[in-house]
Amino acid sequence: MDILEYAWLIPVLPLLAFVFIGLFGKKLNDLNGYIAVGGVGAGMVLALWTAYELLTTGRVYSTSQTWVVLSSKYTLEMGVYLDNVAAMMLIVVSFISFLVVIYSTAYMYDQGPRRHRYFTEICLFVGVMLGLVLANNFFQMFVFWELVGVCSYLLIGFWYERPSAARAAKKAFLVTRVGDVMFMIGLFILFTELGTLNYEQVWHALDTADPTMMAFAAFFLFGGAIGKSAQFPLHDWLPDAMEGPTTVSALIHAATMVNAGVYLVARSFPIIATSAEVSLFVGAIGGITAFIAATMALCAPKIKGVLAYSTVSQLGYMILGLGAGAFLWHNGHYAAASIAFGAGLFHLMNHAFFKGQLFLGAGAVIHYVHTEDLAQMGGLGKYMKVSMITMLISCISIAGIPPLSGFWSKDEVLAVTFEAGDVGLTFMVLWILGVLTAFMTAFYMFRMWFMVFKGQHNEGTKHATEHGHHKHEAPIAMLLPLVILAALAFGSGFSLFIGDGFFGAVYYEHAHVLSIGERLTEVFTSPLTYISIVAAVSGIMLAYFSFYKTNISAEKVVSKGFPKAMHQLLLDRYKFPVAYDKIGYVGVYGFSLLLDKFDRYVIDGIVNGIAAFLTKSGGVVRKLQNGYVQSYATLLLIGVSVIVILLYVVGVLR
Amino acid sequence: MIPLEFVLIISSVLFVIGAAGVILKKNAIVILMSIEIMLNAAIINLVAFSSYFGDATGQGFALFAIGIAAAEVTIALAILLNLNKLRKTVDVDDISLLRW
Repeated sequence: MDILEYAWLIPVLPLLAFVFIGLFGKKLNDLNGYIAVGGVGAGMVLALWTAYELLTTGRVYSTSQTWVVLSSKYTLEMGVYLDNVAAMMLIVVSFISFLVVIYSTAYMYDQGPRRHRYFTEICLFVGVMLGLVLANNFFQMFVFWELVGVCSYLLIGFWYERPSAARAAKKAFLVTRVGDVMFMIGLFILFTELGTLNYEQVWHALDTADPTMMAFAAFFLFGGAIGKSAQFPLHDWLPDAMEGPTTVSALIHAATMVNAGVYLVARSFPIIATSAEVSLFVGAIGGITAFIAATMALCAPKIKGVLAYSTVSQLGYMILGLGAGAFLWHNGHYAAASIAFGAGLFHLMNHAFFKGQLFLGAGAVIHYVHTEDLAQMGGLGKYMKVSMITMLISCISIAGIPPLSGFWSKDEVLAVTFEAGDVGLTFMVLWILGVLTAFMTAFYMFRMWFMVFKGQHNEGTKHATEHGHHKHEAPIAMLLPLVILAALAFGSGFSLFIGDGFFGAVYYEHAHVLSIGERLTEVFTSPLTYISIVAAVSGIMLAYFSFYKTNISAEKVVSKGFPKAMHQLLLDRYKFPVAYDKIGYVGVYGFSLLLDKFDRYVIDGIVNGIAAFLTKSGGVVRKLQNGYVQSYATLLLIGVSVIVILLYVVGVLR
Repeated sequence: MIPLEFVLIISSVLFVIGAAGVILKKNAIVILMSIEIMLNAAIINLVAFSSYFGDATGQGFALFAIGIAAAEVTIALAILLNLNKLRKTVDVDDISLLRW
């Protein structure tokens, strides 16, 4: 039996759970969670098996069926495309989904009958996200892309009675829509230029395609990724999306859905690589996003806010890696490009694990103190040992301290960016931004960690420990995922050393295979590695001195002058929400008003004008019916005479 | 034998006189008489062509037309009598209710 032939079942199993819970869930109460765990778990088993088969054999498997025939030249298909990239995504998505669903059974327990809706939506999400990964063409990807968008909308707005949640859901939906429209334009360009959207056929058709059109297609496809992966300037929906339940933030807005944009960039990598400008653009957007989001994370007041900005920033790293790869590829450095491509996806995988862990840990903390405000926490380490230690592992990992997973991928991303800097100077700037981001990442993660687990007890902690009815840690269903993910946050980086190494496994063409010894020598003899380690360590030290030892008072630093203005600007998120509202209000609403005027005065004007003309002319003509028989007779006579005369003139009567 | 043109001219003259009567006269009875003149002009035409082509069909039609005209006049006169009874007038300018 070839397991790959059954790969299409992977999304179907969670979707079955979705249908079942959706239809019968109201009466099932506690059983909802178990069905969701079962459906997602079954999908995970199949996904892991498939991924194992793919990664060990290095096969590329694809099937395809005609779906919609638009004309003899343009056909839409549905199918499955499995390669190592898809395998990696399958592992990440299915495994984290499974853990999050287990976690949810405990975390959402107090939601009562609403769990029914929650588990329905989460099963739908897992199903369509896996479907997105399996797609064999851009159109199918787009369909699932929209579906995960819908799930994101529904789950952000889970507590829809809160105005802020409803607003955040709307914002997420509308802002990503901007990207989706660009994605669609990209699809149109590809489809009309190449006549196919199948990944393999597109990649093969690139050599003969018009490079200008391909550059446009790549640009617009990347626009879709900007929206979904919350890249600058469409990043602002992700921090707001934290209004949803923490499990949703962990699953959708940290570990899986936001990675769909990166996955799209990976799938359109050959298209992007056809153009130096677009590659540069991709890298620049990634670098700028990483930097800007990291600055905003520095002073975010809420625990989930820090993690949200951090997610945006890390997604920026992934995009930066892929952009650098595309740029290197365009300039003929195929081996370096393959490393960059692998590095971006490697960071995707590692990030999914440690950020999923951090969000779930934050969930446990919020579950305990019932507040998201960092200033109200403090000293929780005494009561939440497991959460503290697992989150510490993830923090060290994301900060990039060897040998934890975050170090390997982040270092690799920075190294390839530096390498691309030799070819294009812009990447050198981006590399500097990347190193600064690494410093800030270490700082804000440890700021969060110290503020939550160390220091004095603030109101939230006091309230929870004195009046709270649970003085113990979260239940086992929540701790188990934390521990497993922390283990992965620690160790997923070592996949670099299994077999051909991550880069060899993910990037099959031009694979750059190094042995363990060679890899280690290469990493630890490069000065760049030490620069990023120094950046990380100094970030941690700064956080240690300002938020644990309190030698440096953060309040004093931002109390006056430029730092204060900067602090306010960061709290205002660089005025991005205001700008969105302005664009929405002035641009979209203004345009709508214009259209309203057009509709009212031009369209309605034409219709009403015709009506008025007919009424008026009718009013004139009806005067002819005056009731005088003789005038009718006269008109009749004149009319018949005219007809006869005309017929004579024309010649019918002659 | 009288040439066809003469008869046609007579019938045309009669038709125009009738039409002028219909349009210009105000008395409904006179108008009715004018209509009869127009009808007779047409009947003369029928007979004339019948004789010209040596075909009896036209004369048959003429007889029918005269018969129908008699019936039509009875109805018209009945209407006029009723009109006179109700409105005390046979002037067509006074009966213009059926209008916009």
